[in-house]
Amino acid sequence: MDVLQFALRKLLAGVPLLVGVTLLSFTLMVYFGPDKTYELLGKNSTAAQIAEVRHELGYDRPFFVRYAEYLRELATLDFGHSDSTGAKVSTLLARSIPVSLALELPGFVLGNLLGLALALTAAFHRGRWPDKLIMGVAVVGMSVSFLIVIFAFQIWFCTSHGLNWFPVRGWSAAGPLDYLAHIAVPTLATVFVALGYNTRFYRAVIVEEMGRDHVRTARAFGTPPLRLLWRNILKNCAIPIVTRVMFTIPSIVIGGALLIETAFGIPGVGRVTYEAIISGDQPVLKAVVGLTASLFVLTLLVTDILYRAVDPRVSLQ
Amino acid sequence: MAGVADEPLLSVRDLAIEFDTLDGPVRAVDGVSFDLRCGETVGLVGESGCGKTVTGLSLLRLVPEPPGRYAGGSIRFGGRELLALPEAELRALRGRDVAMVFQEPMTALNPVFTIGSQLTEVLRRHRGLGRREARVQALALLERVHIPEAARRLDEYPHQLSGGQRQRVMIAMALSCGPRLLVADEPTTALDVTTQAEVLAEIRRLQGELGMAMILVTHDLGVVAETCARAIVMYCGVIVETNATAALFAQPRHPYTLGLLQSVPRVRETRLAELPVIPGRVPDLRSLPPGCRFADRCPRVSERCRAEEPALTPIAGGGQVACHHPQP
Amino acid sequence: MTAGMARNGDGVAVPATRRTSLWQTALAKFARDRAGLVGLTVVALYLLVAIGVWFGWWATEWADITGAKWAPVSAQHWFGTNIIGQDIFQRGLYSTATAFEVGLVVAVLVVVLGGLLGATSGFLAGSWVDEIVLWTMGVVDAVPFYLMVAAIAFALADYPYAMHVAMISTFWTTTGRFVRGEVIKLRGLEFVEAARALGVGQAAIVLRHVLPNTLHILLVQMTLCFVDAIKAEVVLSFLGLGVKDGMSWGLMISESTLEFLAGHFNNLVAASLLMFGLVYAFNMFADALQDALDPKRVA
Repeated sequence: MDVLQFALRKLLAGVPLLVGVTLLSFTLMVYFGPDKTYELLGKNSTAAQIAEVRHELGYDRPFFVRYAEYLRELATLDFGHSDSTGAKVSTLLARSIPVSLALELPGFVLGNLLGLALALTAAFHRGRWPDKLIMGVAVVGMSVSFLIVIFAFQIWFCTSHGLNWFPVRGWSAAGPLDYLAHIAVPTLATVFVALGYNTRFYRAVIVEEMGRDHVRTARAFGTPPLRLLWRNILKNCAIPIVTRVMFTIPSIVIGGALLIETAFGIPGVGRVTYEAIISGDQPVLKAVVGLTASLFVLTLLVTDILYRAVDPRVSLQ
Repeated sequence: MAGVADEPLLSVRDLAIEFDTLDGPVRAVDGVSFDLRCGETVGLVGESGCGKTVTGLSLLRLVPEPPGRYAGGSIRFGGRELLALPEAELRALRGRDVAMVFQEPMTALNPVFTIGSQLTEVLRRHRGLGRREARVQALALLERVHIPEAARRLDEYPHQLSGGQRQRVMIAMALSCGPRLLVADEPTTALDVTTQAEVLAEIRRLQGELGMAMILVTHDLGVVAETCARAIVMYCGVIVETNATAALFAQPRHPYTLGLLQSVPRVRETRLAELPVIPGRVPDLRSLPPGCRFADRCPRVSERCRAEEPALTPIAGGGQVACHHPQP
Repeated sequence: MTAGMARNGDGVAVPATRRTSLWQTALAKFARDRAGLVGLTVVALYLLVAIGVWFGWWATEWADITGAKWAPVSAQHWFGTNIIGQDIFQRGLYSTATAFEVGLVVAVLVVVLGGLLGATSGFLAGSWVDEIVLWTMGVVDAVPFYLMVAAIAFALADYPYAMHVAMISTFWTTTGRFVRGEVIKLRGLEFVEAARALGVGQAAIVLRHVLPNTLHILLVQMTLCFVDAIKAEVVLSFLGLGVKDGMSWGLMISESTLEFLAGHFNNLVAASLLMFGLVYAFNMFADALQDALDPKRVA
């Protein structure tokens, strides 16, 4: 009952944010977005022709009417047809999103788990050589551009200039081996870059928690190290860790997929987005931007509600 | 007990603890020695930064390493050398033979576990109790430290309790395994005045009932007077004076002790404005003077004090003082 | 440290001395940080390269075809030539200047924008102004970075600084949040209360008393932002949303995609190493700076 009320209140509080992100994507993508008038008309057209086309495209309707139309599109997931391929945008997304999930999920999970493990190792040897080694390598990971890592790994693992173990481009998930062969290099690249940031972040959080009074109390009562780690450190770090995981999902999924899928020629939502950016395919872009932003807001709200389950300190106020 | 009566329960000899700082190592504790017999109560007194908290933590070997380091000396407890004890044996000792109560009741308990969970964990680890049995014991402990509605409190989280109640929980936890030594680090400092008196009375009562030895680390001489049979005064990492509490209060011999005593407000006798203050500042541990560490603030300072560091020497009346010119 | 040794002295905080001592100890700490000093030196060398480019001392032929297609490394072409015979070394040097241009413009403006908005909302925490700033931050953070850039690039059509605008309008929220948090802390301190009691105006309090006390945050944020901007430029240029005219490491890398499958790596390696050197050095510098400026961090 309490939790239900809390959830409802949280969802209500999320409404302004939802309005904000949809308004922002509408203003940028639709209102100031690509203008198709001249594409359709050619160079020498009369004012009357221009006005007619603009009317057909709906450009002459007032701002809020068009915004409402955009909201309706978002709610019904009906964004019309892609300008470049003519395919239905919703079909396009339904086809490409599962591919992206299958591609990105292993790297995302591995990147976080390995980052946490390395951070724990570093934090427990704080100031000594394992810490220095791990953190030194983490800065290297942070300093290399994701794009360069992708290209370097691609050349190394997938071409005759290197090991040539895996396919350089394309996608297939026909069987488990096929699937693994196609995600191996993208996953390696994702993990390599994610590790730099994740390890540093997790180490900072863990070191801070290790310095707290209750950890000292637990040590003063003879708590063994592993139990200390679980009960006093990880449990108490749950909130920043969950927040980070949630916060990085959109940038990993869209940002990561954008580069990886483009470089490896994988037909996921990232590649669809890349092609839409290149060709100015507005129906696809407004769908992707609006959906990811709205989903992000909803994810945050759900996280907030989930905190209740993780941490008794978060009260229901 | 009679057989071991000759050997003290705790024997600290020439203890030195260093901390690494940007300006090189700093000695927070520099050659501290004292003994404690079973059931004895001792107050460790001094201003913040004098090394009393570090000394207290070292008795469970809890000084964070790094930046801290045990640079020398020995801590013998119950016939065993703590500074040479392997980590596993230390863990068995912590909370069972030597227990500690910390200053900050607000943060010393784990916020994401219930009071009951934290109490039963200690009981199950050190006394090998089963889940149900441990819970019964935990309830008895909470009742023993006079927490109202103890049964309900077991399932509450630390943030649902008041500061005084949390400190009572800490005390219950510390006493749960019947330790032979309790180290209490400023147990009442963070509490409000009325709660302070209650918690202090509770500690005193339980110490008497259980007959355990206790070291009370505090900056408050009033607390020592009420609770401890003996007092050790520390200044800048060394002991400057030690004596039975009554003797120390009646006739302080070190000028620093005298200064401390005079700056304790006695509400009925002095108005706060007239309260004497020890002039000057505590010297920086990184650049200590060659002679007596108190020389710069001392009204009785002489040439000798600036050249030669005084050693702790016995005085008439049973105490010891480290001063070239003790108060008569 | 639990020993309370840091609490020596009388512990009364006076803003002026607090500020100078913070910077003094920071400088002392930084001077002892070998990695940080090496980082700073390397960054300075890169800056020198960039200055030389701006003044036309070197890398003036970056756009000219000076040799054969894919010429190997030689005394004339230190890093060889690219697919149409342009000198890779000169292009790499020229791109250094672009990197500093992008990094500095974005970092400075982000800190100004984030600092002002963060300070205002922190100072007026709980008011409607604060609500609006918080809402804006939430909205901006909800849109994935590359999509935001793409969206802004479209909205600004062919404006050459679309990339800069995009980075600034997304990066400022982090600085804003940090400054807001710090200002909320500062607001309750005595010297701010005193200034208010003396009748100093709100804007003056923020500008003269509060913002200067957040300088350490702004400095650290600026270094982090610089690095982020350089890294983002590479990706955006690859996506065709980056540098419009001139040359950059990102453009070199996207150019190299035409080359490396044919086995010519000079362009990719040169741009990658040059960029990695600067970003790594800057990260070390930023780390040392954070260590030096954070009173909680003990070496």
